[in-house]
Amino acid sequence: MVMKSSVEEEEGGWGLGIPEKMRNNADWVDVTKEFKGACKELKLGELLHDKLFGLFEAMSAIEMMDPKMDAGMIGNQVNRKVLNFEQAVKDEAIRVKDLSIPELIGIMDTCFCCLITWLEGHSLAQTVFTCLYVHNPDLIQDPALKAFALGILKICDIAREKVNKAAVFEEEDFQAMTYGFKMANNVTDLRVTGMLKDVEDELQRKVKSTRSRQGEQRDPEVELDHQQCLALFSRVKFTRLLLSALISFTKKEMSAVSEAQKLMTQAADLLPAIHSSIQYGIQSQNDTTKGDHPIMMGFEPLVNQRLLPPTFPRYAKIIKREEMVNYFSKLIERIKNVCEVINITNLHSILDFFCEFSEQSPCVMSRSLLQTTFLIDNRKVFGTHLMQDMIKDALRYFVSPPVLSTKCSLNNSHQAKDYIDSFVTHCARPFCSLIQIHGHNRARQRDKLGHILEEFATLQDEAEKVDAALHGLLMKLEPQRQHLACLGTWILYHNLRIMIQYLLSGFELELYSMHEYYYIYWYLSEFLYAWLMSTLSRADSSQMAEERILEEQLKVRSSKKSKKKKKARPLSKEITMSQAYQNMCAGMYKTMIALDMDRKVRKPQFELDSEQVRYEHRFAPFNSVVTPPPVHYIQFKEMSDLKKYNPPPRSADLYMAASKHFQQAKLILENVTSPDAEVNRILKVAKPNIVVMKLLAGGHKKETKALPEFDFSAHKYFPVVKII
Amino acid sequence: MTTENEENGTEMQTEVDESAYSLARCKLENLLNKSMRIRMTDGRTLVGLFLCTDRDCNVILGSAQEFLKSTGTQCTPDSFSQGEPRVLGLAMIPGHHVVSIEVESESLQTTTHGL
Repeated sequence: MVMKSSVEEEEGGWGLGIPEKMRNNADWVDVTKEFKGACKELKLGELLHDKLFGLFEAMSAIEMMDPKMDAGMIGNQVNRKVLNFEQAVKDEAIRVKDLSIPELIGIMDTCFCCLITWLEGHSLAQTVFTCLYVHNPDLIQDPALKAFALGILKICDIAREKVNKAAVFEEEDFQAMTYGFKMANNVTDLRVTGMLKDVEDELQRKVKSTRSRQGEQRDPEVELDHQQCLALFSRVKFTRLLLSALISFTKKEMSAVSEAQKLMTQAADLLPAIHSSIQYGIQSQNDTTKGDHPIMMGFEPLVNQRLLPPTFPRYAKIIKREEMVNYFSKLIERIKNVCEVINITNLHSILDFFCEFSEQSPCVMSRSLLQTTFLIDNRKVFGTHLMQDMIKDALRYFVSPPVLSTKCSLNNSHQAKDYIDSFVTHCARPFCSLIQIHGHNRARQRDKLGHILEEFATLQDEAEKVDAALHGLLMKLEPQRQHLACLGTWILYHNLRIMIQYLLSGFELELYSMHEYYYIYWYLSEFLYAWLMSTLSRADSSQMAEERILEEQLKVRSSKKSKKKKKARPLSKEITMSQAYQNMCAGMYKTMIALDMDRKVRKPQFELDSEQVRYEHRFAPFNSVVTPPPVHYIQFKEMSDLKKYNPPPRSADLYMAASKHFQQAKLILENVTSPDAEVNRILKVAKPNIVVMKLLAGGHKKETKALPEFDFSAHKYFPVVKII
Repeated sequence: MTTENEENGTEMQTEVDESAYSLARCKLENLLNKSMRIRMTDGRTLVGLFLCTDRDCNVILGSAQEFLKSTGTQCTPDSFSQGEPRVLGLAMIPGHHVVSIEVESESLQTTTHGL
């Protein structure tokens, strides 16, 4: 009965929002009782459904009234009325003029927090657009708030454009949807920065007029006024600087990037003032009857609830004001760091820069800025250099191939020029992709690295053919010179780097189980690093051969022998580091084998899979690579079989050997001139491991049943082994 | 629910149950893919195609749209959030949150024909 009446009551209201097709036959009949009765007849666990609708489809339905899935539930349970901007202004729930400075400070700080939360991957609707003021800045009469609202919109708009263009985000990084909100497109960037500047100047005058003069008795009220004006001034100026810096990044000229860097430095200088004045802003009122959302003037967290997609609601937890300044200072550091990239000329160094930058797990905005700074729309590096030229330089730097030397007869051969040009052109895209991959978040990078190996395998094939063709040409022109495996070596080097990175990132992402460590480290030490070192030394000797020929040519021309000092080999640092890495991997491999012998590695009960299945899965992406050929499980088992040694080593021998490897790594690293952070990090792992392995070799805690612990806190890829 | 379960178990009733069961199934099957309007305990109404149900009256609607409760009277036509439906897509309403179920009268007619 009750139901019926409620239905009737609603009948009139139904016409309101029902789409046309439903309105036409709005003749609804209540079947509640029959339906429920019929349902009861169904058997336990039985589903009644159409042939085309299965359990699989049923699973993807969102569950109503489950707060984790039902976004509409929350908005519906709040007792207060949710008003949009126009309504709120009409009802005088919020003011658009005569706002006090504490109100302005509070609104701005909350807006900044929303902006940060958005940049951390939440939707605009749940963050920035919970601020009613940005819905329509035209309605705002307060000049400071109006300029600020426009500034925030512009910042969002440029950030969104940059992130979209760089295309290094996934759904977990960034929500690009604007839900049809206007992003202040009717005002130019210049006008907005102008408005902000005007407000800033006005505030600065106030700050100056309230400044304490020497010897003057300070009126506490004036002092407070001064502090608050200064607080507001700092916020407005910060907004302007951030916006201007982002605008600089949209310009084509590289000078704009250093301009952005300057602006960011200025913005960073304002942060202490902003931090110390957070308490001047009004705080949100926490007196809601439902206790769901604190209410802050000008903000309505639920205003866009209806705009959210029907997927699981994601709770946008707006960060706290106290964390805001800290985030901004880190963001500024990252952006300043991004600006450094334009000072690098060598492709390999640029790649290293991208790797290092990515290692700090930077935010999506700084990642995107780095990408768009590197490759401007026209596919030119920094907007000026052709990618092809960068690749040629990288080749010269790495292997000095005769074909790219001006002192080589191939330089005049059209055919040779065609060969190398087409090869370099084919390289451009995979290398751009490789750089783009490093812009993605860490977890996605791994997957993408696995895929790009296919493209590099094709390049490898081409490189070898071009090498052979060039060698043929060169033999005819200058029989004393060679052009063997130059380009091939270079591609192989990148292949190996990608493969190594692919395997190592599994440790960082905590993908491997303890019982898998041994074959991962084996693959790295015995195989990939061994190949990498031989590739590097081949490149090194190829460089030396070229240099010798150049010297001889010089000697012929000028009898004066230029006494050159023996200069450092460009690749020596990398060779050294590879040796250190190889020793670390070998040490870990032997440690794992020995621990296994002592039954200190927990192995799973392989029911549905086997070690072979896991092994093959771990190295599956390597199957597309021709050089180096993938090592199959059977081969691995044969190669790593300890029975081939006579007598077979015991665990104590292996611990000792592992200790020696760590010792070796330590020696190598300690001889590095000007050690960087990475060297120190590895040393932090190598040193304790030397000791632990020696202890284990001596039979320390041999009987303990407790499993060892692997502590990756000092280094992402190599753990400190701990025996408990 | 438990009493029903026991009844099903007793052999005497088996035959009666069997026919009641097939009748119920038939009834429900006839409603499949028909437009359905379900009111939930929190006052919202979902309109969508009836796709699936089970013994506990959990219902799955396809292409569902969500309508907020009209606040008693229709005095708030300017209230921006109420009139417009929100598209939900595939939605499952747990049986204990179902307040009322309605179908279009046309579809009900075909049901009686079918029977």
